[in-house]
Amino acid sequence: MTLTKEITLYIVSSIIIGLSFNLGRGWVDGAGISLLAKELKIVSDSEQAFAILSDPRVSIIDLQSAIEFHEKEILFVDARAEEYLYEGVIPGAISNDDIEALSDEISDLIGYNKGFVVYCSDDDCGSSEDLAYELQERGFMNIFVFKGGWKEWTDAKMTIEVNIDD
Amino acid sequence: MTKIYPIFILITRILLGLIFIIASIDKIIDPAGFARDISNYHFVPFGFENIIAIILPWLELFIGLGLILGIMVDGASVISGILLVLFIILIFQATIRGFNIDCGCGLKEGELVGWRKIFEDLIFLFGAYFIWNRKVKIFEFKY
Repeated sequence: MTLTKEITLYIVSSIIIGLSFNLGRGWVDGAGISLLAKELKIVSDSEQAFAILSDPRVSIIDLQSAIEFHEKEILFVDARAEEYLYEGVIPGAISNDDIEALSDEISDLIGYNKGFVVYCSDDDCGSSEDLAYELQERGFMNIFVFKGGWKEWTDAKMTIEVNIDD
Repeated sequence: MTKIYPIFILITRILLGLIFIIASIDKIIDPAGFARDISNYHFVPFGFENIIAIILPWLELFIGLGLILGIMVDGASVISGILLVLFIILIFQATIRGFNIDCGCGLKEGELVGWRKIFEDLIFLFGAYFIWNRKVKIFEFKY
């Protein structure tokens, strides 16, 4: 085989496999990327930019995102009442029934601008959302509510942390 | 020397092949991260970093496998040489422009661009030339 043919074969197969793999990943785990990079949107006036910067957010995340956040060592806050915590918590999660103390603890650990995750028992519990909005009022800018909470986490057989002292 | 020469070629093929394979894996797993690394070089026209990030790692993987398994070794060594020349130019321009950026080479995480990286790539380039210019072919598929 000539050198040109060999080079062409390498390049063509890389293009075919690369594009197919990227397309496949787009379907399977969403990790595929667009063929051309998208330009970041320019915020035209400084007032709008400041509004985005100073706009606190509460967003909902699913189990997959919660797992990825946990792997990336994002702080988790357990919103369940103390009597439920004997079952265990998501490893590393902090909790405190006293909102003042909890707020201080979070700000000491990560400050006010970094995102963290709040969860409670399951889809219906609502206490994670309540806590998220209470914390938002205290100045936390970026809060994620893991809706599926403890139930979805344990149903997925994810690791948990049990504090024997409790 | 004559007896050692083919073994030396084979070892160079395996080493260079391994380097390309290892370099490709992280890039295949995280194309978005690799696209950001390419974009940081400010060399590729905006938008095209994604298509490069999708295809280039597979080219690296295939030539790496080709070098090790002895499949189309001439083609693999020429492509690896061309890629290495491109990498050297990219890293060189980033270094003299004073960019303090991740090289995105895929061999070590957080490795920055700089003269050391250029020197490393020059050695790999010499290896690619050595393979292309080989006088003896062992453990290679014939077509």
